[in-house]
Amino acid sequence: MPNAEFPHKWGMVIDLDKCTGCQACVVACQAENNIPINTKDYFLQRRAYEWIRIERYWEGEYPNIKARFMPVLCQHCENAPCEPVCPVFATYHNEEGLNVQVYNRCVGTRYCINNCPYQVRMFNYWHPNWPARLENQLNPDVTVRTRGITEKCTFCVQRLRRGEIEVEARGGQRLNDERIAGGNYDPACVQACPTNALMFGDLEEPDTAIKPYFDDVNAHPGHGEHDRETRGYRLLEEMNTRPSVIYLKKIDQYPLKGGH
Amino acid sequence: MKLTRRNFLAWAGIAATGAIACDLFDDELRVQSPALIPEDLVKGRDNWYATYDGSVPGGEGVLVRVMEGRAKKVRGNPRFPTNQGKQSATADTLLQSLYHPDRIDGPMLRSGPRGSGRYRPISWEDALYRLNAAVDTSGPGMLLITEDRKCSFAKICGAFADAFGGRHVAFGGAADDTAYRAAVKDVMGTDSLPYHDIANAYALASFGSDFLSTWGNPTAYSVAYGKFRSKPNVSDRGRHYHFGSRYSMTAANADKWIPINPGSEGYAAMALAWAVASTHAESPAVAQITGEAGPGALSEFIPDALVDVLGIPGEVLDGYSVREFFEKLAHDYMAHGGLAIGGGGEAGAYSNGQFNASAVLIVNYLLGNVGQEGGLLPDPGSPISDSPTAAPVASLADWQRIAGDIGSGAVPMVIIHNANPVYGLPPSIGLEGALGNEGVVVISASQFLDETSAMADLLIPDRAALEDWGDDLPDPMPGYRVYAVQQPVVNPLADVDPRSFPDVLLNAAATLGRGDGMPAESYEAMIRANVEEMLGADLNDTLMYGGWWDENATGRAAIPPEGTLSRIARNASPANLVGTGNFHLQPYEHHTVRDGRNAHLPWAQSTPDPLTTVTWQTWVDINETQGRQMGLREGDVVNITTGAGSIQALVYLNPGTPPGIAAVPMGGGRTLGSSYATDRDARESGNVMSILEPVVVDGSGGLAWSSTRCSITPTGDSMAVSKLEGDYTSREVGEHPAEQVYKSVSAEGGH
Repeated sequence: MPNAEFPHKWGMVIDLDKCTGCQACVVACQAENNIPINTKDYFLQRRAYEWIRIERYWEGEYPNIKARFMPVLCQHCENAPCEPVCPVFATYHNEEGLNVQVYNRCVGTRYCINNCPYQVRMFNYWHPNWPARLENQLNPDVTVRTRGITEKCTFCVQRLRRGEIEVEARGGQRLNDERIAGGNYDPACVQACPTNALMFGDLEEPDTAIKPYFDDVNAHPGHGEHDRETRGYRLLEEMNTRPSVIYLKKIDQYPLKGGH
Repeated sequence: MKLTRRNFLAWAGIAATGAIACDLFDDELRVQSPALIPEDLVKGRDNWYATYDGSVPGGEGVLVRVMEGRAKKVRGNPRFPTNQGKQSATADTLLQSLYHPDRIDGPMLRSGPRGSGRYRPISWEDALYRLNAAVDTSGPGMLLITEDRKCSFAKICGAFADAFGGRHVAFGGAADDTAYRAAVKDVMGTDSLPYHDIANAYALASFGSDFLSTWGNPTAYSVAYGKFRSKPNVSDRGRHYHFGSRYSMTAANADKWIPINPGSEGYAAMALAWAVASTHAESPAVAQITGEAGPGALSEFIPDALVDVLGIPGEVLDGYSVREFFEKLAHDYMAHGGLAIGGGGEAGAYSNGQFNASAVLIVNYLLGNVGQEGGLLPDPGSPISDSPTAAPVASLADWQRIAGDIGSGAVPMVIIHNANPVYGLPPSIGLEGALGNEGVVVISASQFLDETSAMADLLIPDRAALEDWGDDLPDPMPGYRVYAVQQPVVNPLADVDPRSFPDVLLNAAATLGRGDGMPAESYEAMIRANVEEMLGADLNDTLMYGGWWDENATGRAAIPPEGTLSRIARNASPANLVGTGNFHLQPYEHHTVRDGRNAHLPWAQSTPDPLTTVTWQTWVDINETQGRQMGLREGDVVNITTGAGSIQALVYLNPGTPPGIAAVPMGGGRTLGSSYATDRDARESGNVMSILEPVVVDGSGGLAWSSTRCSITPTGDSMAVSKLEGDYTSREVGEHPAEQVYKSVSAEGGH
């Protein structure tokens, strides 16, 4: 942790009522995090790299049909199933609530991938391939991962670290919602999202916009879901992984008959 | 003093003691401690420069992160009025366009047959000598074909063509939207488009246009859509109906999708217009627009009479009749800030496209929202008084004439810039064959090789957007005047030697003694003059902000001329669908590849289509039930055959596609240029534009690109579909059903 004076617990809220499935977050993530180009073969082998992806679910059938869009990324679980199974401690939980992957510790057992119920960990089956010239675009703040290791969303830790150094260590000010957004320190997906379906903040900051959702969900866990005052829920909540990502339910103006 | 080991240690000790005593380096020590920063953090300084991305629909202001002379990241410019810090899925592809391995490195001369794509490098001196000589001898009658850019670019191109007795035309892309522009001109009297204030609307009706994906300004409209969905009370949350014949991204996001027959968007809008007029005849707006005839002006559009025309499935009407449904909608829209959007894009791609667009525009006048918050905001006009506000986009009839003139030699020289009409126009126009006329000099200033630029004798590569100056008038503007400025944020790499195309034209004109007819000495000087002389602003400030805007310079809501409504009603006609076959062929602009112009960009190809999640390939959406009845499975290779030809595509059984619709994304089947665009075989990469009948939009004369019928026949072959769907298997095999993952609540039902 860069500065003990300013402890953090990072979290994200995803409003499914606002996500249009536009994929701006997906491309912004790939550009920011040096994710190799997903070739056709990567998709055909079911090995495409997407640290954040838009899952699309069909509900109903024509003409009463609904396509549902859902951004899914590493949930940065407090009880992360991926962490205890790593034999070399390549993945662990840091003081800021991030589920961290140490690339140069990882030996590629893929136990973590197997144990992640959200399927958000990617294994590098190939050497990263950047055609000549395109490598000029690589972000110097982010390691290009080698073949044989696991990678995943970091909540753009490189941006957070810059913010902690520039705003907190040098400026002596706490990174709050305004300073995060104003200084390019928010994750690339959050920054890109045109509808503001993705919100990011520090749960240690009392005024952060995302805190009420976490407080509500934490106050009414599990079977208390129906007592919640917000639309918040955690993905696969019954598994008690306690993700640092809260989803807000879609508002259905016209629910399909037999829908949920 | 001689530096000895003893002296060095003494001074170091003094310095360290002093530093600690004065607490000088506390921050620095803290910052640089390896315990406090990850080992892979690069501490170099980055700079973010504001510029403009004119390659996305409507344009967006962006900031580009530059480190050590290299562009690293693109993000939305928070200050820019339209996209407000947000970005499209293709914003970051500016970087790939800049550092693309297949960029044309420098000037080249054709070394093989025309169209072969074989060239040899030459020097810029040689290239410019050849260009100037060609312009000098073949200038009169020459044709300058560019992309559909406005403002200074269009002004320089137009002046250059005029100076030498030639003509400048723009190619609006395969997804021609001239019908909508013609309707706006007809109903609102402006060349530029109006803005739909979605953010402040409460009830939205969209007609055909995929405004959340490719139509209008999708990023600006998506930003507004987020606000539309974010009203403080759930009961005020914006409600959205979408009328359309394809289950598009916009349809998928609407609260209710109303499937209608292809090309009947205008009738649906007029049915809503009738319902508004008949249920609110006392409304001043209704009285003003309907005039003495009152609601009777719309008597032909009583929904009961349009049941067959619209073809709305009864299942989506919630037990209401079609008439009751529209009346209910009218009450809701009149009571709660209704806004109608669309009529262009897919809705304008029929022979009756201009009627469809005009009908949607007139609904807003009846709703009384024009010029109002949450309504249709008229174009405020250009802040740069003498710059073109629209590109000189050629109609289909124009292209037919142009092809004839090139083929006959009446046009002695063609200069092409970043336009690919050979790929985007139906082959029956004959442009490729015409450009094969060896008697015509063809010069391309495109950044990449494509089907049109490969017909050139000489290639003079342009700079990438991040290397060059530029300006634009966002279209639509956000209700007030905006002038966007693009600045070079990086220099070209050492192994690339492009030159700014407008500067090449200006230099050629000056060299040939026609400089007096040109608007400036350089592209940069022209933009500087626009900012400093036209706007009275400081160039550095303008560059820092990414442009200039004046929130008080809004458009005036002029009432359409009397008789506009009755004229629109008189022009109503069903769409003319040409050909035989059991399917209506519905091409649509790909979300990221668009009409093929982004096919060379790997991020555009690898980004999953939002609905099907397919990447890299060309697919055909067929209704899942109908497809199974035909014995089709996903990945089957089918022939899509029209009277104009045949292509192959992979079947995607789409539960949202209406029966009888074969929806095919544009952008496949590129044959020349980057390997990212061309390295797939014909079974999985087809150009849907190549099998379209050359149907014309009545009035505007544009290509009615959704007016062709087709047949679908299996080939017996199949291929794996390259898609994201199926990658997250644990939930799909039933371990965690979708309803445990994706949750929703009814608007009334609480949580």
